Amino acid sequence: MGKEQEYIEIFLAEAQESHEKLNLLFTELERDNTSRKAIDAIFRITHTLKGNAMGMGFSEIAEMSHVMEDVFNEVKNGKLVLDAELFSSLFRANDILGELIEAITSAKQVKYKGIKTKLEVVLRNHRQNITSEAAQEGLETIETVKSDDPVIVQENHNSTGGELVLALEDLEETQLSKVTISDTVQVPVRKLDALLNIVGELIIEKDSLIAKYTEIGHKASEFARLHRIASDLQYGVMDVRLVQIGFLFNKFHRVLRDVASIENKKVDLILEGTEIEIDRNVLRIMSDSLVHMVRNSVSHGIEKPAKRLEKGKPEHGKVVLRGRNEKDTIYIEIEDDGAGIDTAVIKRKALEKKIISEEYAKVITNDEILLLIFEPGFSNAEEVTEVSGRGVGMDVVKRATESIGGKVEIFTTIGKGTRFVLTLPSSMAVKGALLFELDKQEFAIPLTYTEAVVSLRKKDLHKYGKGLVTSYLGKSISLVFLKDLFALPNLASIGLEGALHKSYDDLPAEAKLDVVIVSYAERFMGIVVDKLLQQKEIVEKNLNNPVDKNDLFCGATILGNGNVCLVLDIVAVLRTFYMEKMRRQNVAA
Amino acid sequence: MENIGETTITEVIKEAAADVQKKDTGKRIQLIIFKLGSEEYALPIDQIKEVVLTPRIAKMPQTPVYIKGVANIRGSIIAILDLEQKFGIEKQEKNNSGATSHYTLVVESDTYKVGVLVKEVPNTLTINVIEIDRASNFIQYSSLDESCIQGVVKSGERLIILVDMIRLMEAENINSTVAKALIN
Repeated sequence: MGKEQEYIEIFLAEAQESHEKLNLLFTELERDNTSRKAIDAIFRITHTLKGNAMGMGFSEIAEMSHVMEDVFNEVKNGKLVLDAELFSSLFRANDILGELIEAITSAKQVKYKGIKTKLEVVLRNHRQNITSEAAQEGLETIETVKSDDPVIVQENHNSTGGELVLALEDLEETQLSKVTISDTVQVPVRKLDALLNIVGELIIEKDSLIAKYTEIGHKASEFARLHRIASDLQYGVMDVRLVQIGFLFNKFHRVLRDVASIENKKVDLILEGTEIEIDRNVLRIMSDSLVHMVRNSVSHGIEKPAKRLEKGKPEHGKVVLRGRNEKDTIYIEIEDDGAGIDTAVIKRKALEKKIISEEYAKVITNDEILLLIFEPGFSNAEEVTEVSGRGVGMDVVKRATESIGGKVEIFTTIGKGTRFVLTLPSSMAVKGALLFELDKQEFAIPLTYTEAVVSLRKKDLHKYGKGLVTSYLGKSISLVFLKDLFALPNLASIGLEGALHKSYDDLPAEAKLDVVIVSYAERFMGIVVDKLLQQKEIVEKNLNNPVDKNDLFCGATILGNGNVCLVLDIVAVLRTFYMEKMRRQNVAA
Repeated sequence: MENIGETTITEVIKEAAADVQKKDTGKRIQLIIFKLGSEEYALPIDQIKEVVLTPRIAKMPQTPVYIKGVANIRGSIIAILDLEQKFGIEKQEKNNSGATSHYTLVVESDTYKVGVLVKEVPNTLTINVIEIDRASNFIQYSSLDESCIQGVVKSGERLIILVDMIRLMEAENINSTVAKALIN
């Protein structure tokens, strides 16, 4: 389905709803013609409809709702009294409006000028009455109104407004009103969320049922049908929430054009994979971030036309917005063929802004430097421009992505361009997680952040400063006993002397350890848990007041056995550890 | 003189009777009464969604001690509070806190939903709003967290402390925000 078609469908659904509402309101108003609420509502609806119709280029609908709006403006101001005659005209007008809306799909010709003029005449007459203007002038006005309507031209010369109204009525009585029902249903997202929640609970119940029955000797395959129906239902509900990514992408033509014209750059936007579908909520959360990133690409990435020519590149820069999916993961890429990111410049800026210490700057890798642009308060632009703002961009992007369990990556080549890759879940409802046990209680780590699971012995671990290190794939990585982390009063106190050595010290020499290697944004860390359990799809729920501000956990889920399982906020944990690392290096410096 | 005195006394009695009647016709509210330590506490019944057997509580590290963790109550995950710890009530005869709190009061408002641990099945009591002694001095002198007490209800021999859950939750909110600000 084309984008244009999609917009029309949305407009249609909305217009049809407005039309139905107007019918209701008119009926209500007929019963009590002083109902303030109904009058205001009609005024509002006709106004919105007019605006939408104009935006979509349906001038007939716009004109029709415009005149209805005008009538109700007068009614609203208490100047025009609604009588039976006016009501019949209004009902008629609304019927015509309904036909016009229907005519968008059927391409049927609808005569609407008659009733429109009739209402206009009512308006004119009414205005004449209050302004007590000369009859002649009034007549002239009527003439001008009527001249654009061929149907009534011959009546024009010798009749007054009143007679005209009658004449028109006869003309239109032939058409009968019809009831139309839209083919699309508008559902508030709230209701879909509630539905998805219930489905989530069903899945949990199903799992618990299967778990119970397999314990007493039934085969899991006996529940295959239940399993399939439940999962069909789940995906069905999730599917309803999906929107095409092109819906959002299309808005970027304008965003890009505006930035390009301010920056005096020539940039083309290329959209790819617009048909990829993504959860509406994910898109809503990411939309601002994408605007930031596209602006950044033009503002920081693409060079001025002269410079591009100088470098032997085409004058027009290119920004590609690409959507692609792999199983349940959606990738959104923002790629430009601009100057690329110069790590030397980033490093210098970070030093100037004291984001990193001199000591750290000496050992920092290029990948780590690139990550610095996500630090709060970092703005790479040499000067702050109107467009790229004041470094609020990239850290907001990162936080928005993380909040839904995604990640951001940067690939850049100097002189060739930069590519940002956002890895997003296609749905926020279900995610894969690794379950483990600690202190006889289950916890989960989202699979997005798990790199590997390894088994280590105490001798593989070494004390390093206040923490512990081990080696993984030839790299030295930090390691923490989750037990020690949990024992701390809060995440900020990980710097406490010996706090992270406690479990290590208590460990017998031959002990074997289950370690989950987690990673986020090129930062790795090992987490020692008591026992690894399984990999599982979970329905993550948010934590509510008063536990929503806990730093360690980003959510919780209910397991098949009914137990609550907390989901570890890996990003927050990693961030805290690396903050500590940076701080230590700062102190050392 | 005697006469006058007599009428005065009758008048006083009448007045008192009228007063009692006024009390009876005043706005009545229903309270849910539960025990914390050896004292009786109460919450308005409209704030209580249900009373359930305490489910398994998932402990949550790095939270205030009186937040026992989170539990699954009819599919929603809610925080479980131990008000005995919040109010600093000593656990005299009880040595094991979790094992004795058999019931959970599910308290709900627009902004929060929490569970409050109680030991016995709570009972109800209908009182007149005017029976609530709001501005009492003794609150300030008590060791309780005064901000969370709405008032004291005297019902015969009983003295029931009315808890203000909304303020309790707000206070908690502020505390954690401040704590967070300090960390950063």
